[in-house]
Amino acid sequence: MTRLDATHRLAAALGNDLVIASLGHPAYDLFAAGDRDTYFYTWGSMGLASSVGLGLAMAQPDRRVVVLDGDGSLLMNLGSLATIGWVRPANLVVIVWDNGLYGTTGGQDTATAHGTDLDAAARAMGISATATVKTLAELDHAMARSRSQSGPWVIVAKVDESAPAVKPPQDCVFIKQRFMAAIGVPEGGTQGGPA
Amino acid sequence: MPWAVGVCAGLHAAGSRHVVYVPDNPLSHVLRALRENYPDVETTIATREEEAFGIAAGLYLGGKRPTVMLQSSGLGNSINALTSLLVPYQIPALILISMRGDAGEWNSAQVPMGRAVAPICDAIGLPHATATSPETTADTVALVAKTAFATRTAGVCLLPRRLTVPASRVGG
Repeated sequence: MTRLDATHRLAAALGNDLVIASLGHPAYDLFAAGDRDTYFYTWGSMGLASSVGLGLAMAQPDRRVVVLDGDGSLLMNLGSLATIGWVRPANLVVIVWDNGLYGTTGGQDTATAHGTDLDAAARAMGISATATVKTLAELDHAMARSRSQSGPWVIVAKVDESAPAVKPPQDCVFIKQRFMAAIGVPEGGTQGGPA
Repeated sequence: MPWAVGVCAGLHAAGSRHVVYVPDNPLSHVLRALRENYPDVETTIATREEEAFGIAAGLYLGGKRPTVMLQSSGLGNSINALTSLLVPYQIPALILISMRGDAGEWNSAQVPMGRAVAPICDAIGLPHATATSPETTADTVALVAKTAFATRTAGVCLLPRRLTVPASRVGG
């Protein structure tokens, strides 16, 4: 399956989930599959999508948070798996589009093309709910399991690279404000009284 | 009040109930004071400072007022997270930096980054203030946080060694 095909299939199953998309192709494909206010597209900070998802999952424990990461991005911030494995937010699902490539930068190999297993890495860092999927049907099954069995989940989806045709909105403040409005939280933060 | 209690009072008064951090020795006093005096403040330890800023950004997107605590050396690990996430998306946080490499330092490996902290903050657009005494620390922290969250600009409060390491002072 290509990443774009898999993203389309995934998007159909997201419903009201909050989504943090890693920069580059994961974000481009998510936008191509149909834009929603509940999507937060990152345009930088490579590697931090799962960390942003962790913070969001902690702040919004009653919402499901889905992170769309890439293998190269997650390899930049493997410590995030250790922190997720420690905090264990039940409402966090990390999808890793694993194509064994730095796709956005021209197709250089990542370590997953040479033996690194991110599913095993997640389990080694205390995340017990994991899956590796290679077909759309397996992806559907894993997503269904992630709804019935508490997280945190790490789902490694083995995908083929697919060149994205469109880019999401590029105004960072617009992306943030739209996303926070969709959740229904005000700018400036709310907990603990007035700023 | 002791400086570490002042840090806690300041962030609490500004409405922050989540502290994400990478520890250092002076910050251990803040963590202890949080546990003893402000049990409603949740703490999360990150493996690296840029990860802490990612978590803080997510907390803010979810409606919280995050505080990030780090040693000055960790600012070097954080610059991409700050300049490509918090700054362009106008995501605020209270940033507490425990200083190394400033007056009183003994470790030369800490000095270059310590000297660079304020210029880096200026270069990437982060306002910064320094807590200069235990008596004024709570107010300084609270005011930095108030401005950060009200103006959606991450704000830095520097905690110099002359504040956090009494033994570094004459007669300390």
